[in-house]
Amino acid sequence: MSFLQPLLSGTLTGGVYALAGIGMSLVFGVMNISNFAHGDLMMLGMYLAYFAFTLLHIDPYLSLVLLIPTAFMFGFLLEKLFINKVINHPHQNQILLTIGLGLIMSNTALLAFTSDPKILTTSYSSSAFNLPGGISISVPLLLSFLITCVIIAMLYLFLSKTTTGMALRATSQNREAAQLMGINVAKMSAIAFGLGTALAATAGALIAPTYYIHPLVGHSFLLKAFTICVLGGLGSVVGAGVGGIIIGVVEAMSSTYLSSDWKDVVVFVLFLAVLLLRPQGLFGKKGGQS
Amino acid sequence: MKTKIASIVAAALLAFPMLVYSAPVKIGFINSITGKEAQIGENLTNGAAMAIEDLNAKGIQVELFKEDDGGDPKNALAAYEKLVTRDAVVGVVGPYTSGCANVVASRADQYQVPLLVPAAAKEEITMKGYKNVFRLNAPANVYSRVLMDAVKAYKPKTIAFVYAATDFGVSTVKTAQENAVKMGLKEVANEKYQQGQPDYRPSLSKVKAANPDLVFLVSYDADAILLMRQAKEIGLTPKAFLGAGAGYTTAQFAQQTEISNFVVSATQWTDDVNWAGAADFGKRYKTKFGKEPSYHAACAYEALRIMALTASKAKNPASLRAALKAGSWSGIMGPVKFADYNGFTNQNNHPMLVQQIQNGKYETVYPASFSKKKLVYPFKR
Repeated sequence: MSFLQPLLSGTLTGGVYALAGIGMSLVFGVMNISNFAHGDLMMLGMYLAYFAFTLLHIDPYLSLVLLIPTAFMFGFLLEKLFINKVINHPHQNQILLTIGLGLIMSNTALLAFTSDPKILTTSYSSSAFNLPGGISISVPLLLSFLITCVIIAMLYLFLSKTTTGMALRATSQNREAAQLMGINVAKMSAIAFGLGTALAATAGALIAPTYYIHPLVGHSFLLKAFTICVLGGLGSVVGAGVGGIIIGVVEAMSSTYLSSDWKDVVVFVLFLAVLLLRPQGLFGKKGGQS
Repeated sequence: MKTKIASIVAAALLAFPMLVYSAPVKIGFINSITGKEAQIGENLTNGAAMAIEDLNAKGIQVELFKEDDGGDPKNALAAYEKLVTRDAVVGVVGPYTSGCANVVASRADQYQVPLLVPAAAKEEITMKGYKNVFRLNAPANVYSRVLMDAVKAYKPKTIAFVYAATDFGVSTVKTAQENAVKMGLKEVANEKYQQGQPDYRPSLSKVKAANPDLVFLVSYDADAILLMRQAKEIGLTPKAFLGAGAGYTTAQFAQQTEISNFVVSATQWTDDVNWAGAADFGKRYKTKFGKEPSYHAACAYEALRIMALTASKAKNPASLRAALKAGSWSGIMGPVKFADYNGFTNQNNHPMLVQQIQNGKYETVYPASFSKKKLVYPFKR
């Protein structure tokens, strides 16, 4: 069997993981908060894409145009109403708050949408490009990956070229100093959380056509996003991107050459190894957070 | 003196309850109305309701005592004890899940009140020699056997297993492997997976590389759709996909015609089988409840019907047990007879059916004597 097949499909799956990881990392970088509602925000993105498709007949990938601003506003409001209140409190309060928000979201979804899994079937859901050498590339997965690349490029430009982006990075580097330089850090936090939410929801919408949609689906993705963030270095956007791809490829490789039963073991052994050798993560800042 | 006479009268009344003419027959029904299994529990509830309706129409009055176990064996046992001690039922139908049924079965001989299990598959339930436990449906080992029997005639040579790493997945594949050895099938791939992953392509690619004639799958709900989607993507085309278990027998799966067409699965009952009244039951169920009945509904219907018919003549638990053991019935579940064979006691040797999705509909294709359609083999896209 070809070595390229797992490499390709792992990279493509990893791209979507990366998007989920980047959103979480951005929030951590700017606000120093671990957002444990991240997986549930992804789940909301999946349902939004699903209903846009079934009720409004909008292609899940096109629906991103509507979904991204909606999710941004939702995240912005969440920050203003809740997260904002605990930003200077101990980590355990922040964790409890985000876990609580996540539970409210998943259980509301359970009440509203029932526990029956929903399946989003587009005309291209199970089609693939066949390359020579018996390699096949899933069409929806490839589309998701390309969109992820575009979004990451746009995010990169936003963070490096715009004033708001630079202010976000300044807040991420040193909150107090940024405030002294006249940056409205409270606003930056809200923007960062809005962006994080939009990225989570986008990741959800991108994975929806190749996965199934269920109110409790966020939990497994939360664990994945968290692993990716820590692997890449908490707060590092580049690290999360690379971390996502690494996890995707390692999963695919270990299920090909070992057994799919073992892939989580391999992922977490690798994760531990990185933490032992480079505790700050692959791209993390040395010294860590105060 | 007065109390003495009163107690003699009371004893007489207790001794001859059948003298009170046309008193309804008391039957207990334990089901998972709430909890994780509630969705399937609803099918059993509906099936039982239809049975009561039909029995009433025939002039058999049934007083049904419904109990909910919430899918918890502890509650099921409490329900059974309440039914036999407080409500004084002559027989009990249920519980639904294997876990609950197994626990209740272990106490049935102690209370001496017959238990008729309608749809629980765990083999152990009727393998312990309990005199008061009867089972209508076929036990778990029949699932894989009937699937392989259905394709035997086409002489497949190799088989691959793809299954969820759960109790159900592992135990089903274990019996399937035994059956495969008996049939002389060579196992070429064995992929156990963790549920709920977004990417099964690496496992499926391995199966594709082994090029098996048969792919035997055990998956729940949505994983079945995911696996079949990705199987189509990577171009896995064995001669047949055999789906044992939940995910391959849902209406949602059948609707995904692009990926589910020609997938073969095993079931206890279908509405197009040629057993008397099966089609009619399916039709009436759909009109009454607005959805397709699952096999559980048919099992509950038939179990309650048999229990009530027998109990209306037997009147007390001891003679009910004898009558269940001796009798035979025929209805929407085909011929029913509680027999002792292959280590089973009071087990109905229910012929399981093999169905194949053809144009978005489940069609019975095996055994030939019960089906109208033919199996499409080899599988094609």
